[in-house]
Amino acid sequence: MTRSLAAWLAGIAGAAALVLLPLALNRYGIYILSLWAVMTIAAIGLNLTLGYAGQISLAQGAFVGIGAYAVAILTTSGFPFVVGLAAALAVSFAVGWLLGYPALRVQHHYLAFVTLAFSTLAYLVFRNEEWLTKGIYGIVGVPRPSVLGIATAKPLPFYYLCLGALAVVSFAVWWLVRSPWGRAFVALRENPVRALSLGVDTRRYTLMAFAIGSALGGVAGAFYAPLVEFVDPTPFTLALSLNLLMMVIVGGAGFFLGPFLGALIAVLLPEWLRFMEGWYLIAYAVFVMVLLVISPTGILGILDRHLTARRTRAASQARAAAKPVLNSEAA
Amino acid sequence: MKVLKTTFAALAGLAALTAAHAQSGGTIKLANVAELSGPGATVGTNWKNGIDLAVAEINEKGGILGRKLEVTHADSQSNPGIARAQVQKALDGEPYVLLGPGYSGSVKVTASLAQQAEVPQIMGGEAAELTKAGHTHLFRTSFGQQSSMPKVAAYLADDLKAKSVAVVWVNNDFGKGGRDVITAELQKRNVKVAADISTEAGQADFAADVAKVKASGADAAFIYLNEEESARILKEIKRQNLTLPLIGETTLVGQKVIDLAGEAANGARGHVGLTTDAPVPAIQQFREKFQKRYNYVPDHNGLKGYLAVYVVKAVTEKMGKVDRKAFADTLHGLTISAAQEPGILMDVTYDKNGDIDRQGFLVEVENGRQVVKKVLPKLGN
Repeated sequence: MTRSLAAWLAGIAGAAALVLLPLALNRYGIYILSLWAVMTIAAIGLNLTLGYAGQISLAQGAFVGIGAYAVAILTTSGFPFVVGLAAALAVSFAVGWLLGYPALRVQHHYLAFVTLAFSTLAYLVFRNEEWLTKGIYGIVGVPRPSVLGIATAKPLPFYYLCLGALAVVSFAVWWLVRSPWGRAFVALRENPVRALSLGVDTRRYTLMAFAIGSALGGVAGAFYAPLVEFVDPTPFTLALSLNLLMMVIVGGAGFFLGPFLGALIAVLLPEWLRFMEGWYLIAYAVFVMVLLVISPTGILGILDRHLTARRTRAASQARAAAKPVLNSEAA
Repeated sequence: MKVLKTTFAALAGLAALTAAHAQSGGTIKLANVAELSGPGATVGTNWKNGIDLAVAEINEKGGILGRKLEVTHADSQSNPGIARAQVQKALDGEPYVLLGPGYSGSVKVTASLAQQAEVPQIMGGEAAELTKAGHTHLFRTSFGQQSSMPKVAAYLADDLKAKSVAVVWVNNDFGKGGRDVITAELQKRNVKVAADISTEAGQADFAADVAKVKASGADAAFIYLNEEESARILKEIKRQNLTLPLIGETTLVGQKVIDLAGEAANGARGHVGLTTDAPVPAIQQFREKFQKRYNYVPDHNGLKGYLAVYVVKAVTEKMGKVDRKAFADTLHGLTISAAQEPGILMDVTYDKNGDIDRQGFLVEVENGRQVVKKVLPKLGN
């Protein structure tokens, strides 16, 4: 009871900080926080595919691109943002589902290669299909939407929009991983043969894991486009997919809060380190490497180990205390 | 307790005083946002070093209107999203002038931010469309493709009498922009584009592309790639014994290409807006100073960064005050002559869009050296 109460309090404090913090920040700080919220959504999607269902994907960046282009193309041709968002969700869900088929046949690093090829393919489509994407020149002037009559063109309202999206996505995924689907995803990761023998339709859940994870990538992209107000192919190369993969692993793959922390490190840490000027990316890389050497399971892995150790100790003490003692020993 | 309060009040007063001082008579703040890492690192680093060199020179001589320059550098990672963040950060610091970025995509994202903040932005992008979007605070440091490509097309059509040209370009915003402008310019002059060959940034093997140029039977080839790739394709052209005239821009005939391609660079010709090999004493001096400070020969991006700072100096001295709001108006239509401001190296005129007009050169590589064959005068002359 006390543990769950502490978790709730921490959650409320975290949410309050996210709501109140930007009030004290300048436009740059708000932009970076918005970027964090958007990247967290994409990382949550990848965490579902990789962390829970165990399907490695190097294509999450491509899905962010698909979502960004869907919104950019539709909103610049006069459709409302909601239509763009729905299209981003639908297209990346469908493409993610299709990308899931190779995952039925290949696993682990072979699957990584398949998704890597897809990532490259998506980039080429963004760049070369000029009639649709305006090619390398990109789409300028992606508008920020009005929500319930409130314009989000200014940094602060747009941040709250991103934060709202993150809240909705977080809640949906929190519910999902606790549902039978979430259990099925974990079963898929831990022992697919056993899962199959227990009646879990591994084929369908593999495709689902890909499709839902990718759809969240698309949602992230849908907010990325109006955040930057410009979309071109260069941000959606393999580098973004690798960056998102790093966020998931550094935060702690398979932990609900992992992507939040991972994105925090990937988006905010390089900014904090900028005082080191030419060295900042090197320092950042060293930090990540050291972290993964210390804890291959990410930041939450450290916490998890610590908590497990404490619980084990507490249990041992309880056992020791419960051990019947002879009167003579006690004396 | 009272002592503490007084101390706080005194400290606060001191802070306010320093802030006021910084605004009125302190240093002049310039903010540079450039591609210091990622695919554009060569561009951004040259640009940054050029800026630092100019700032150091100006400060040594007492600054601008007696005030020292102070420049901050931020890395855009060659990513428009990050560039936007860094420019926002720079603008939050209320700089006098924003310098950079160099990549056209990053310029597009940031130009409207600078416009809203009414901060003049002097950038390195060369894509034709940048100055067509109606930004009143955006200024170039080099020719846009819309002014350089007609000269190249005219040279191909009139001097070389080429009837068909193979166009080889790198598929990024720089290469695509150049390709689109030159194709239109060639068509205007009834020159056929015999082959339209797109290549990748960082491409290593050009055997197939050169074979396509050969098969096209073109009278000449227009090559528009980054420096490293230019060197590779020149080597491949030599290997396949192609003898047709090779025409390009700054990136085909620059010193870096010559160093990398060696003998294969001989015979390559190009239009060059800014070159460190220009037969202008001031540019030769710049090159020596740069090489002494950084131990390498700069490319044209080094020159662009250097010039950007001297544009700030010339405009500010012309106004006689540090006035951010009046900066853009003063620079529109202004001619800065090298006689008045030696740091500007060559006379330059800004038009109302922020485009520039300056002397250009037609050069050819002979025995591993860039030789200027023709000086193309300013259009306005």
